[in-house]
Amino acid sequence: MNKAHDNGQTVDIHLPAPTAWPFVMGLGIALMLTALVTNMVLGVLGVMLLVVSAIGWFMQVLPHEAHETLTVSSAMVPISSTRTVLQHTSESSIHRRILPYEHFRFTTGLRGGLAGGLAMTVPAALYGILRYHSVWYAANLLAAGGFTDWAGASNQFLSQFHIDGLMAAIGIHIVVSALVGLLYGALLPMFPRYPILTAGFMAPLLFTGIMYSAIGVVSPILNERIDWFWFVASQLCFGLVCGYVVNLHARIRTSQFQALPFLIRAGIEANRGNRESSEDKSE
Amino acid sequence: MATDASYGNALAGGAQTAPSRTALQIVHEWVTTVDHKKIGLMYIVSALLFLVVAGIEALLMRIQLAVPNNTAVSPEAFNRLFTMHGTTMVFFVGMPILFGFGNYLIPLMIGARDMAFPRLNAFSFWCTFFGGILLYLSYVAGSGLAGAGTAPDVGWWAYAPLTAAPFSPGHSTDYWTLSVLLSGISSIGSAINIVATVVSMRCPGMKLTRMPLLVWLYTVMSMLVFVTVSPLTAAQIMLMFDRYLGSHFFDTQAGGSAVLWMHFFWIFGHPEVYVLILPAFAFANEIIPVFSRKAIFGYPAMVAASVGIGFVSLSVWAHHMFTVGMSAGSNTFFVLATMAVGVPTGIKIFNWLATIWGGRIQFTTAMLFSIGFLFQFLVAGLTGIMLASAPFDWQLGNSYFVVAHFHYVLVGAILFMLFAAFYYWYPKMTGRMMSEKIGKWHFWLFLIGFHITFDLMHIPGILGMPRRIYTYEADRGWMIWNLIISGGAAIQAIATIVFVYNLVWSFFKGKVAGPDPWDAWTLEWAAASPPPPYNFPQTPVVESRRPLWDIKHPEDADAYYE
Repeated sequence: MNKAHDNGQTVDIHLPAPTAWPFVMGLGIALMLTALVTNMVLGVLGVMLLVVSAIGWFMQVLPHEAHETLTVSSAMVPISSTRTVLQHTSESSIHRRILPYEHFRFTTGLRGGLAGGLAMTVPAALYGILRYHSVWYAANLLAAGGFTDWAGASNQFLSQFHIDGLMAAIGIHIVVSALVGLLYGALLPMFPRYPILTAGFMAPLLFTGIMYSAIGVVSPILNERIDWFWFVASQLCFGLVCGYVVNLHARIRTSQFQALPFLIRAGIEANRGNRESSEDKSE
Repeated sequence: MATDASYGNALAGGAQTAPSRTALQIVHEWVTTVDHKKIGLMYIVSALLFLVVAGIEALLMRIQLAVPNNTAVSPEAFNRLFTMHGTTMVFFVGMPILFGFGNYLIPLMIGARDMAFPRLNAFSFWCTFFGGILLYLSYVAGSGLAGAGTAPDVGWWAYAPLTAAPFSPGHSTDYWTLSVLLSGISSIGSAINIVATVVSMRCPGMKLTRMPLLVWLYTVMSMLVFVTVSPLTAAQIMLMFDRYLGSHFFDTQAGGSAVLWMHFFWIFGHPEVYVLILPAFAFANEIIPVFSRKAIFGYPAMVAASVGIGFVSLSVWAHHMFTVGMSAGSNTFFVLATMAVGVPTGIKIFNWLATIWGGRIQFTTAMLFSIGFLFQFLVAGLTGIMLASAPFDWQLGNSYFVVAHFHYVLVGAILFMLFAAFYYWYPKMTGRMMSEKIGKWHFWLFLIGFHITFDLMHIPGILGMPRRIYTYEADRGWMIWNLIISGGAAIQAIATIVFVYNLVWSFFKGKVAGPDPWDAWTLEWAAASPPPPYNFPQTPVVESRRPLWDIKHPEDADAYYE
């Protein structure tokens, strides 16, 4: 921004001239509407005010907009901070180093999610076959959350093939798998040490915990009939496959990587980030 | 802090050089003004007056509901009270007061001298003002042709077929329709003005990527107004046609559809919540960084989230209609769409927290209200997610749980940020600081009253108490909750009186503010307090999102990094 001037010069500033016509027009329209519920005389008055104000308004802006001229000092308000001394906080680079140097493309998460979702159908189908002798049971149960008229459906009904149920289940399953896959893609680089533990066990168990508390709200029918053992099994299956697929993909470098010294970026010297961090802390 | 004399840059029109005038001259000046600041103040003052009226209506309702089998007001009067309370709060308090702040601040923040269409601006204000007067004229302007009641009593949503002529004889519903129609004209006018001003009147250097977030959010809000107020206006006209010209848009016995009205109303009504909350977000975006002494965290994400909210909020309206009996596909779509709003909203909450994190926080009254807003908006969002789930909504729709949820949004989030905005920008508007001591009394009283009222209001809802109920039997188990809730409402009323006292006291006795009492960074603080009619003697030129920071700290200017 331009700095303050104190040259004491004056400038002419043109501002729109005050006018009562907007007020009169507003009153006119209000009276016209009021007349509909009171007396038509008010409506006649409203129309008159509207016409007069419209003419007056036009004459205000045509052929040239009416304005008033103010002669003012050109000096700007002086600007200063009550904090006269800017103190730079002594910076440690630790907080930078804990950000990942590399991460996955978001498409990696999508692929992982879809692969995990596909793998998850195996235990789900197995559950249906073993428990209800139907490969469609799990799909119908998933779809039932979206169909209000399936709320009281029998096990026999859910064991049958329903094209609308299958389509709904596929839709729900793809969307949820893709979203969870995206989450994997974003989270896994932050837990680089034990990817199998994180992706294959911790995340599915956490997700199961969330679902356990929320499933009654999200899908009451699923809540009534869910078998948590099989649910956990399918979650683990999803997590292991999704995590595996995600970790297969090459990572791309973040802007934190660009901030590393050239020797490290060029691979001439190893990245000693964590060790240096602990050294910094001890200083 | 400097005195006003230090900033005496106006040879004409400056507040400190104004000669004494008669009352008539003052009235003439305000009636004929096209100055965005005066119009903004008129919006705010008018809205505050209606706030007091609608607040009294709320108190009367709480008195009626405090104990079982109460007859403090008649059932007919109770119906009118909740109709007028809702209509007034949404159309004649919420929107005008937010448009008022927008009017006042947007030109100052973008370095302009006025709004793009100053006369349209004045016209918009007068339309909303006369709309409010027309609404309340219903109480005194006679009982209409059929002699059946005065003030509107069909709820602020005015569902068909309740509004049809046989069920709503007389003119009470017409007063509602016409006043809301007038308010709609005003809203569209103001929205046009805001968008035109933002698009065409930004000062040199103020690219869209440097625009203050408040201005961004008001732009998104104005876009929403374009899209959502139009269906409501159309529906009002169709309703008038039904009532007086024999059409059957909403007449279920003649081929019309009552559900059609619901769609029309809620396609306005739900985005309206975002029309109201986006300016509250806008205030938070300005106030939280200043009192955390840090730049806003994630500016691009905040802009993207705001625009995202604007788009997604247009596709969620039918979550108000889960109990109508829509198809499973519709239910599923609106459940998912509603839950999707949580994503950009969550981004905002995280960014505000990240802004506060590690900052040198100043617990001014404005900041206290902002922190209250953060917590309460989170809770409101969580109960919103609960209600977004169709099965949950089937159980608790139309119960006091819903009333508690949306008051958590409207009071806990919007009103809290409005109070914060008053404490933050009052020095700019009047040249005087509001009393921090009285302000803290206001904050704590209001916080306590709010939580007693609206936290506990969820409980009778879960216990089955329907909304809009006139009274209830003693054996329902709702009494103790209602009694405490009414007590909380009384505490809020006391807090509001404290606030009004602070406004008036500070206007006459408050400490002189100077142009930049908060050591802030946006352009409005580069003008005198109160700003002269022309805002800036020279058009400012900006090089970053925080132009005043750049001037105050040239050795570490934002312009180097953006």
